[in-house]
Amino acid sequence: MKKIINLTINDQAYEIAVVPNKTLADMLRYDLNLTGTKKGCDTGDCGACTVILNGDAVNSCLILAVQTDGAVIETIEGLATDEGLHPIQEAFVEKGAIQCGFCSPGMIMSTKNLLDKNANPTEEEIREGISGNLCRCTGYQKIFEAIDSQKS
Amino acid sequence: MLLPEFELHEPVSIEDALKLKKKHGKDARLMAGGTDVLVLLKKKVIFTDTIISLLQIKELSQIKESGNEVVIGACATMAQLSKSSVIKEKFGALKSSCDNLGSHLIRNRATIGGNCCNASPAGDTMPSLMIYDAKVMIESTDGKREVSIKNFFKGPGVTDLAIHEILTGFKLPIPPKNSGAHYIQLGKRRSSEINVVNVGSFLEYDPDTKTIINSRIALGSVAATPIRAQKAEELIKGKPAKEDTFYTAGETARKEDCKPIDDFRGSAAYRQAMIGVLTKRTLQASFEQAQ
Repeated sequence: MKKIINLTINDQAYEIAVVPNKTLADMLRYDLNLTGTKKGCDTGDCGACTVILNGDAVNSCLILAVQTDGAVIETIEGLATDEGLHPIQEAFVEKGAIQCGFCSPGMIMSTKNLLDKNANPTEEEIREGISGNLCRCTGYQKIFEAIDSQKS
Repeated sequence: MLLPEFELHEPVSIEDALKLKKKHGKDARLMAGGTDVLVLLKKKVIFTDTIISLLQIKELSQIKESGNEVVIGACATMAQLSKSSVIKEKFGALKSSCDNLGSHLIRNRATIGGNCCNASPAGDTMPSLMIYDAKVMIESTDGKREVSIKNFFKGPGVTDLAIHEILTGFKLPIPPKNSGAHYIQLGKRRSSEINVVNVGSFLEYDPDTKTIINSRIALGSVAATPIRAQKAEELIKGKPAKEDTFYTAGETARKEDCKPIDDFRGSAAYRQAMIGVLTKRTLQASFEQAQ
């Protein structure tokens, strides 16, 4: 049976009816067309589906959409503005931290969450901060450099 | 991967949750953070048509200090435990367990009650709960009971919980003065791995005689459940707190307390050897902390 939930995604209010067995990742992608959030493993291992839920980075493939009633969610679509890309996105482009791009939305959301909580992370903290996100193309060095360049 | 259809209940009180569990019995699956249950459902390892979520029950996610113990609600997350000042100050080994579970994304959702009810032999929080001598708090519509964590695990994925019961939390006595505890986990990589071996130790010593008054050693990933290394614990009681003693404890734990198996993560022989090393190291670190 569908349940109506109200939530805020990228500063926009949504009211949506969802079935209990739909994950947040699927609701974002298939009901709201926010396909920037990717699905890789769908079991919480790869981090491609990372979004920020009430201030914490989470795997949206392991959260039931109906349980996000009242939540505040940030996805990759919320980062760029009319003026252009978000500085973290710019840094990823600048440092060549993107190759195929599939992990980038999740990687960037983890980065944003890390820097929101800790504007000046150490090398260890940066590596820990993206340890839940897998990249299968570039390796992690350029991603690390992109994040490192965004420290305050 | 599609989730099967199910009915979702989100009770806001333990009473309501217990009534629901009683009504639906074994057909209902309890869920907290969902980082295990949803994966198992997607992979069709478990089947259920009713899920009772415990996340709306506010009191289950509290960490409270009361008198000489700390009560941890079953739905406290790994991230929440890592940040809690009482856990940081008095239960360092448990904090280290919480810091090592999964990735930071998982730790924002995964709960301590869920980790124990999933009852993986390699679970991260269990050896630490065992060395702090935690009591598992259990409720059903018939009343409350408590069971020592060392008797809670019955096999891989199997616990002492009856069908109508819910694990509501853990009681951990505040460790005495002159005691220390340490947890080490060994895996193929540092993040998001499943432990090959994990060991926790607790040690209390008498500063006057420099002897060990009490110790608890818990071994993970080397039996069907996490276990206490009872022979090693008995052996070092009353012995001088020094490296030789810790080495002997490691040897006893390795030879007599653990029964590991071969699997694709590691061989039985490797696991057994590492039990010796990690038991010694965790005891040594506990002792350094106790001083």
